Amino acid sequence: MKRTKALAALGAASLLALSACSSGTGGDDAAGEAVTIDYWLWDDTQLPLYQQCADDFHELNPEITVTLTQTGWAQYWQNLSTQITAGTAPDVFTNQISYYLQFVQNGQLLDLTDPVEASDVDLAAFKEGLADRWVFEGKRYGLPKDWDTVALLYDTEVAKEAGFSAEQMSALTWNPDDGGTFEELVRAMSLDSAGRTGLDPAYDKDDVVRYGYYPEWADGAVGQNGWGNFAHSAGFTYSDDEGAPTSFNFDSAPLVETAGWLQTLIEDGYAPPFDEQSTLGTEAVMTSGKAASTITGSWTASTYLAEDVPVDFAFAQVPEGPQGRTAATNGLADSVWAGTEHPDQASAWVEYLASPACQDTVGEAGLVFPALNSGTEAALAAREEQGLDSSAFVGVADAGEIFAVPAFNNAAEVNAAVQDAMQAIAQGADPAERLGEANDAVESLFE
Amino acid sequence: MSAIATPLRTSRAWRPAVGQRPARRPRPAVRPGRVMAWVAVTVVIVATVFPFFWMVRTAFTPAAGLIEEAGRLWPTDPTLVNFRRVLGLTSVEESVAAGGTGAAIDFVRYTANSLLYAGSVAVIQTLSCAAAAYAFARLHFRGRDALFGLVLAGLMVPGIFTLLPNFALMRELGLLNTMVGLVAPALLMSPFTIFFLRQFFLSLPTDVEGAAMLDGVGSLGRFWRIALPMSRGPLATMMLITLVGMWKDYLWPLVAGSSPETRVLTVALGVFQQQSPNTAPDWTGLMAGATLSVVPVLLLLVLLGRQLVQSLNFSGGK
Amino acid sequence: MTRAMTVDLSRRSTPAVPRLRRADKWAAAVLLFPALLGFVLFYLYPTVRGVYYSMTDFNLLKDPGFVGAENFRTLVADPQVWTSLRITAVFALGNLVVMLVLALGLAALMQRLRLRTWVRSLLLLPWLVPNVAIALIWGWLLDANVGFLKNLLDSIGIEGVTFYNPDAALWIVVGISVWSGLGYTALLLYAGMLQVPAELYEAAALDGASETRMFFRLTLPLIRPVLALVLVVSLIGSFQVFDLVQVGYGNNPIPEVRVIYYYIYQQAFAFYKMGYASAIAILLVVILGVLTYVQMRLMRANRSDLS
Repeated sequence: MKRTKALAALGAASLLALSACSSGTGGDDAAGEAVTIDYWLWDDTQLPLYQQCADDFHELNPEITVTLTQTGWAQYWQNLSTQITAGTAPDVFTNQISYYLQFVQNGQLLDLTDPVEASDVDLAAFKEGLADRWVFEGKRYGLPKDWDTVALLYDTEVAKEAGFSAEQMSALTWNPDDGGTFEELVRAMSLDSAGRTGLDPAYDKDDVVRYGYYPEWADGAVGQNGWGNFAHSAGFTYSDDEGAPTSFNFDSAPLVETAGWLQTLIEDGYAPPFDEQSTLGTEAVMTSGKAASTITGSWTASTYLAEDVPVDFAFAQVPEGPQGRTAATNGLADSVWAGTEHPDQASAWVEYLASPACQDTVGEAGLVFPALNSGTEAALAAREEQGLDSSAFVGVADAGEIFAVPAFNNAAEVNAAVQDAMQAIAQGADPAERLGEANDAVESLFE
Repeated sequence: MSAIATPLRTSRAWRPAVGQRPARRPRPAVRPGRVMAWVAVTVVIVATVFPFFWMVRTAFTPAAGLIEEAGRLWPTDPTLVNFRRVLGLTSVEESVAAGGTGAAIDFVRYTANSLLYAGSVAVIQTLSCAAAAYAFARLHFRGRDALFGLVLAGLMVPGIFTLLPNFALMRELGLLNTMVGLVAPALLMSPFTIFFLRQFFLSLPTDVEGAAMLDGVGSLGRFWRIALPMSRGPLATMMLITLVGMWKDYLWPLVAGSSPETRVLTVALGVFQQQSPNTAPDWTGLMAGATLSVVPVLLLLVLLGRQLVQSLNFSGGK
Repeated sequence: MTRAMTVDLSRRSTPAVPRLRRADKWAAAVLLFPALLGFVLFYLYPTVRGVYYSMTDFNLLKDPGFVGAENFRTLVADPQVWTSLRITAVFALGNLVVMLVLALGLAALMQRLRLRTWVRSLLLLPWLVPNVAIALIWGWLLDANVGFLKNLLDSIGIEGVTFYNPDAALWIVVGISVWSGLGYTALLLYAGMLQVPAELYEAAALDGASETRMFFRLTLPLIRPVLALVLVVSLIGSFQVFDLVQVGYGNNPIPEVRVIYYYIYQQAFAFYKMGYASAIAILLVVILGVLTYVQMRLMRANRSDLS
């Protein structure tokens, strides 16, 4: 199957090469010359899907070739910044809401308002609210690509042993004071080498073989995969400002208390020490059984629920906090770099990426929820067919139990400052003090 | 002053330190101290080589065996797949199955870029500096010492300080991500090389040049026909040291030439690292890439090891 | 480490060359032209520009606007600048001391055991390998979970030797840096030892001096110039450490290892603050200037007793 696809693509490519040659000699002015569009993304698992889109696009537009480059999330934004300063950024790149304003601020994103209006892109076909997020001061800087939300990933066997049924898992409560039933779960799932669980007073926190919860610390100023969800459910908001914020709440009580609670998890041996978890990555830790639960995004569901994964995982809605249940939701988009030499072709590629042709293709793999409603439906259908339960993600979205990842200026610096503070707290720094400093540092960027 | 800065006292042209016997004490009989010394040297050699061995060992390890066989000295099931995928010889699916992302290193191209970058700078910079050094050492013109002092002041300027404006300059000239822009800042000039070669020229005996001058050979002729041929040794030393330095260079090629056309091997390795899957570092692939990047160095060491060691003897001892 | 050699400003005058009568001026112009062109274009001009940038809000994306001393005021109040400098200084000093002690020992062993050239060239291997590769190799050896060396050290009771252990991180980078420069530095020192006349050792041996005594009383004082040179040049080189940290941490170094070069790089290329980055770079120029001055003094103060 894969081979035939590759062969077909190869055949198409050679035909195109031939036709490109002949059109070149023909001197046809309308056909336009061959153009290469560079496209960046960070998710390696989606690379083959977008390669498919790029191939299909090339077939429709023989004069445009799209080259894909994948860079891991940890380096993606800094690489992009470096390439922008060098004047060699990709023509089109995957954009994330919390970063995009900084590019707008520096005039690095092409205004897509007119091209989109002139095209046959139907903004109403996207999931509600997604298209508007990429409009700033009346100009459009991206077309929605996919959306996501997060849920609690857990090892079903371990949870059962700990005495938590699937129903109980989706009804967990949490608060920053005693951690609610969620902390009970985490403690019950933690295990030391003598076979004692975290509920046992004799639990040896220095000799843990399985941690009950795996917090994500490399999570910018958003905490999308961990602390952000808890803090929001305790009443935290990033900022009280409308539009692009200039004042922030990183020093507010809900976040400080949440950070303090996470810190005690490490101190008591229910979560791994900071340095131990930084190199392997969440997936390796979870699949090797070293941790029993974590909060992760809908885009990872296929990885964890795949058949060859040694652990039987399931997803539950994120725990309900004092202020209700809040799961981070985010939308990605494709944007065009203002410095592109081929704005028309780049826009055409963005429009194709936002078209049912591409988004349904991506959706059919079931990896992510494409922004088009049809794409999301395709993804849900695909997941159902693969036997993957997406209800924990879709449920919170349908119930509106979500908060949107914020957009702000100077994102690189804001993210760095808050992430540093959270990582320092993970290593034992005083939450109130560190977050206070971080908040001051962040606000000083906007003076 | 017997550091490198010191002019050679010999009246012959530069002679490699090969034949020179180490300063030596009377040879002692086998004593415990000597055994200890050999033990210490062996430890250093093992510590030097082991990380490279581990790199090669990991490069031959299948991704699946990475965790299970973390403690084994050699994988039970060695594989070439990591090399193949790093070189882009596998399909994306195969690469992903082996723990990668389908990212590859265009090894031949980036090695060629590295060689071009390091080689052209090593040769041209050394020659250009030799000419200037000769002028500073032998010719008389107004403002010579002041000019030399100014050039030496360049030694104090850290690379990053000129890197920022040089980056802006290359950007304005549209020379970013071109080989010309990449080599330009280092191509013609290195304060250190000028300094080093000037010291050497000062140490050369003047009689041959004096005779040539009486025969009517001009300054340029004396430089080209007498001084240069007499300084083959120091020139080779400078070229080698510059070559190694440029081969290892990372920051400037990273910011000024990271596009595939001008990407050098060091930058390619960095880029490959950043293309690790989001979920976990691709260690087997990274080690295969690192192994490939060490191969040219090993060749250099095998072919020129003796020369390298002698160069250092020369630069450090004289 | 950069090239371990240095400047001898004490030697300004040219030895007696027959006085040249003909057009030296023109010959000098021809010989100097390429190097001076490079100097003016890529040293002088950027220096002037760098100073100018430091007084602007230049971000590479928009035209620079003049802000006067603003960047320098920010710099003084920016704790991260001073933290980075402190980290860099600790790295430089640690690197220097450990490297020098080990390299001296290794050089003495080379002298004592008359190691063959191929063995010595083997010791040069780490110096030839780019820091990028070195950072990757060590990142893997010390991986917190499956790193071979990390687990080995764990099993003999030395725990926490991993890149992401905030208490150990900087010392690990120092260790890797020492490892990569040890053979090279030892060879330089060994070359200095070769210059010590054998008769001195023979005489000392006749007087019944022990090996250790000869090392401290003879070798060490006599190689002082090379020693001083290696010392100061590697100190200055250490202030410019970047690759190990940037690649070792996959472009995201933890705060404990954010050296000044990384901070400048980050300001310029990730935060678009070219002006501010230039101001920090000027601070570094001043610091390195002072170090270089000290170097000159040391060099002059440390003529070998042989010359």
